[in-house]
Amino acid sequence: MFTFILRRLLYSIPVLFAASFLIFVSVSAVGNPLSELRLNPLISEQTLQNIAERKHLDDPIPVRYVYWLKEAVTDKFGTPLFVQTPIWDDLTRVIPHTLQLVIVAELLALLIGILIGVYSAIRQYSVFDYTATMASFLGFAMPVFWLALMLQILFTELFLRTGTRVFYTSGLNSVDNTCTFCVDRAQHLAIPVMTLAVLSIAQYSRYMRASMLEVINSDYIRTARAKGLSEPKVTVRHALRNALIPVVTVSAINFGVLIGGAVITETIFGLDGMGPYFINNLQSQDVYPVMAWLMITATMIIIFNLIADITYGFLDPRIRYE
Amino acid sequence: MKLRRRTLVAGCTLAMAIVAGALGGTTAASPGASGGTVVFGAEQEPPCLNGVLAGCNNTWTSWTVGISFPGLYEILPNGDLRPDLIDGEAKFTKKPFTVTYKIKQNANWSDGKPVTAQDVIFTLQTILNPKNDVAGRAGYEDIARARAINPKTLKLSFRKPYAAWKLLFGGQFGVLPKHALQGKDFNEVWNTNVNSQTTGKPIGSGPFILESYTKGQSMTMVRNPRFYGKRPQIDKLVFRFITNTDSEIQAIKGGEVDAIYPQPQLQLGDLRRTGGLKVLSSAGATYEHIDFNAGKKGFALARAPWFRQAFAYSIDRTALTKQLFGTLKPDLQPLQSLTYQNTQKQYQPHFGQYTYNPTKAGQIMTSKGCAKGGDGIFVCNGVRASVKYGTTAGNRLRELSQEIVQAQAKKSGIEVTIDNSPSRIFFPQVSNEDYQLALFAWVGSGDPSGITDIYSCGGESNWMGYCSKKVTDLLKAADQELDPAARVKLVNQAGKIMGLNVPSIPLYQKPTFLVYKSKLQGLADNPTSGGPLWNVENWSVSG
Repeated sequence: MFTFILRRLLYSIPVLFAASFLIFVSVSAVGNPLSELRLNPLISEQTLQNIAERKHLDDPIPVRYVYWLKEAVTDKFGTPLFVQTPIWDDLTRVIPHTLQLVIVAELLALLIGILIGVYSAIRQYSVFDYTATMASFLGFAMPVFWLALMLQILFTELFLRTGTRVFYTSGLNSVDNTCTFCVDRAQHLAIPVMTLAVLSIAQYSRYMRASMLEVINSDYIRTARAKGLSEPKVTVRHALRNALIPVVTVSAINFGVLIGGAVITETIFGLDGMGPYFINNLQSQDVYPVMAWLMITATMIIIFNLIADITYGFLDPRIRYE
Repeated sequence: MKLRRRTLVAGCTLAMAIVAGALGGTTAASPGASGGTVVFGAEQEPPCLNGVLAGCNNTWTSWTVGISFPGLYEILPNGDLRPDLIDGEAKFTKKPFTVTYKIKQNANWSDGKPVTAQDVIFTLQTILNPKNDVAGRAGYEDIARARAINPKTLKLSFRKPYAAWKLLFGGQFGVLPKHALQGKDFNEVWNTNVNSQTTGKPIGSGPFILESYTKGQSMTMVRNPRFYGKRPQIDKLVFRFITNTDSEIQAIKGGEVDAIYPQPQLQLGDLRRTGGLKVLSSAGATYEHIDFNAGKKGFALARAPWFRQAFAYSIDRTALTKQLFGTLKPDLQPLQSLTYQNTQKQYQPHFGQYTYNPTKAGQIMTSKGCAKGGDGIFVCNGVRASVKYGTTAGNRLRELSQEIVQAQAKKSGIEVTIDNSPSRIFFPQVSNEDYQLALFAWVGSGDPSGITDIYSCGGESNWMGYCSKKVTDLLKAADQELDPAARVKLVNQAGKIMGLNVPSIPLYQKPTFLVYKSKLQGLADNPTSGGPLWNVENWSVSG
């Protein structure tokens, strides 16, 4: 197992290097990042020159790549193009916010999605199964921005009608409150968590149902029943464990992607996470934070894929790592 | 393991919140009811807090932390400039051009040190230092000498007359504290705080100073006890960053913020009908316009003023403005000038003659030898009156405006083909004069000095290929005319000529919306660069 992890980690290094080069070249190919500032007649040529010199913008792309890579490795991605705040400070601020949102939403979705999927499979073609199928298609079809707005309106109306604040509709904390694990933070994250979880529940329940149906009709499950094992034991110990493998794959990829930020959800709810960080810098054409974000996301996807591979071994004893 | 425990805690707190909410146990106190705190929903977060730097310079930097640094003059809602940090109007001589300012005797920094002439000189040196990435040096470069006559009196000598001198050291981030910044790398100060570099404590001379800043979330400003003006009535001003307009609207409806200043959105109409809220709306400083490219890469017919006039007659700008803003601001009028805005007293309607008149547009075209083809579109000397009309893709308001213009122009025999691209492509195209017809906005400063670059021959921002020697001479003369009345006359003469030449068609000033709870008093919108916080010292919370 250790050798497997080490080998995968070593493979990741050239993958990350290749990713960094592709990211740099594709982002740089978009054009001169100073072009928008150049349109502002109030900004002097001297200021533009200072920025260009500091970031070596007049050098060819391969030379700029080397400078950028050096800065990324030795100075934690350095500073953005236009301001002097370290990129790493911003990333370490926004990543925990995104993690908090994504982990809660995904765990909730996994829990509910798996339960629905398993029960739907066991009670195939029942009223519950049809209802769950319809609800999951609805969840798939629902645009995130629409659901977010509807939930905001719902809880605002609830507050206006009852005077009771159940959940807040934007931000991470109330004014003068900076706590991370507290009721106030939970009240702020509840609606974004619901928004994110709905789509994931729909996704996981469908995967789980399909996978479970395949497993419960297999020979070894019939054998388990023939041995006289109780139905809950057959379902949980024998069927569920194997049926979880596709869900683990999907959820691992989901986790990796969502660490990059649930862009729409975080932006709508004003959460200071990876999503708005990416979008804001993209809009202001500050390429250096954008590239740092892309690198972090690429790294996360690699890590979560590795985690998925390791989890397979725990779920299915037939899978061995060499 | 640590992560698992944290997740559990987060899960538990979420569950607690749901239970607590269901039991009615957590009714949040209204933010403004605490006897003097106002929570303002800010639509943008400053990229960093040093608003003098190009990278940090945006409107919300000025309107938030910028209120800590008032300038020598402040801009009023009608665009006029009023002495702020100085005692009465500055005195000036014409030949040679010099300006003498007297800083208010009671103007002090929040640490107790007086605001002096040396602070203004330090600000000038900071702006002119080529190592500093400052946003603008225009006008400052014309200052030949700055001299402190005494600690509170400053004399500036200019190389040449500079008519917009009142804008210098004006607005927010007007005057910087020398004692708090001297010797530091200006590009690296005030990224995430606005502290004195010597004491580490917040500094400012305005009504509020920055107490704390939680990046990505909020900014808290507290009353400056040493403010030279009227003592602010509220204790605390909190800016919460909510960048999504829909969320801003829900936040003010649900009492999570006390005031917002959002971009025009149809949903704002609902707020006018919501009890407990007030909505102030003005014609803003940002104005939309249609530029003709009369240059080499432009549209051949657009080089002729008669075609541009015909086009102006074929657009119903009143109907356009009504259609776009009828619900939100029914009294918004089309803009009829390229020089002043209709909220300014200097404003004259140079484009007033261009009321919707397809017949007149047709007559002009016919009189120039154009004839309608089988499809109803004019052909003039072999050139079909079919023009590509571009703007920034994805801007719904602009796209809607394009569709209206397209339909209107067709009735006059002019075909308009919509050709949009994302802003990162559109603006370089415009500045390279590679377009035919372009719809975008300029932000007016209230002072006409900026328009010289736009409409004079070879002006830095003249991307229309437009060149009128008369207009150029008038605008350049206006830039050096120190007599305000004579200057207005020169600018309006240029405006009148442009009304005939039609290098560009002004459409409307984008309305601003200041929405706030009825319990707040003293708020007044300033649609210029002054912004909604311009009179924050007059705000109070009742009840």
